[in-house]
Amino acid sequence: MSGSLRLAALEHAGVDLVAGVPCSYLMRFFAACEGLPPGRYIAAPREDHAVAVCAGAWLGGRLALAAMQNSGLGYCLEVLTSLHLMYRMPLPMLVSDRGEPTDYEEHRILGQRTRQVLDLFGIPWRVATAGDQEAEASWLVRTAQDGRQPAVLLVGKEADV
Amino acid sequence: MTRAEAVALVLSRLAPGDIVVAADGAISREAYRSADRARSFYMLGSMGHVASIALGLALTRSERVVALDGDGNLLMGFGNLALIGGLRPVKLYHLVLDNQVYATTGGQACLSRQVDLAAAAAGCGYPWARRCGLDEDAGAAVDAWLGAAGPALLDLIVAPLDPGPVAKRIPMTPEEMALQVRRALGAS
Repeated sequence: MSGSLRLAALEHAGVDLVAGVPCSYLMRFFAACEGLPPGRYIAAPREDHAVAVCAGAWLGGRLALAAMQNSGLGYCLEVLTSLHLMYRMPLPMLVSDRGEPTDYEEHRILGQRTRQVLDLFGIPWRVATAGDQEAEASWLVRTAQDGRQPAVLLVGKEADV
Repeated sequence: MTRAEAVALVLSRLAPGDIVVAADGAISREAYRSADRARSFYMLGSMGHVASIALGLALTRSERVVALDGDGNLLMGFGNLALIGGLRPVKLYHLVLDNQVYATTGGQACLSRQVDLAAAAAGCGYPWARRCGLDEDAGAAVDAWLGAAGPALLDLIVAPLDPGPVAKRIPMTPEEMALQVRRALGAS
């Protein structure tokens, strides 16, 4: 099957554009993003650039989603804290959930602390499943918009639907 | 030309509908002191990202978007040159207020003394990118820049030190700064 139920659900929930850096755990999602019309998916050179593009889009009246590997969260902390959290901007985020004990070494240190990092900065998160993408997209967009803050959907390999 | 004079010069050349994103630190404070506009977004942190915020606006708006960047800022967010040069948003105008130092933190040397920022932008795909030296006509350079098809980058060399008093902090909360722009653009 081509396409991504996850992307379709997020668009249905109100996401206008996507900016991000690919992760192999989100291969199906990013493949679908590449099929969006020009200007609706921004392939950024690094995750913090993607997050800043989303801030500009929101100032312009559109809701942009940032998508990335959880390793990219490290690059994003400065932008999330001194842009989205400080100015109170909504930011739905799709973040891969790498770092399980069987994953490669380079994914474990930050990967196994992703939830703690998000909790530390007061960013709400939820773990995605393979079958409830409409409710998850709705939660993500509503949490980000109502709270005018970042909110994260953590996506494991099996939830890239 | 000082940085304050350069900011005033550029703001005086803009149309009321133009959207401005001003980099964190002295550049935002100068822009606010020179001419506060409801369509100006003032950054307080997230150094290096003024051009990506401007890109987000350029992708969602039909108006011209002007990024007021600094040389240290641009070097920190150097990937922005590739992002903008690759996507080529035609209404994005990128100005580098290039004083060749980290002025806000005490005038420490910046790599912009060795790196040609306009050549880097051209290499990344900006169809128009030029440097204007201290002894050149900045007014003519700004007119040529704003008259070019975008994305266009002007690396405007300014004096390393501003003799005048430092612009004060902007008397708005970050939330008010963001909502001011959203309201001006009819987005909230």
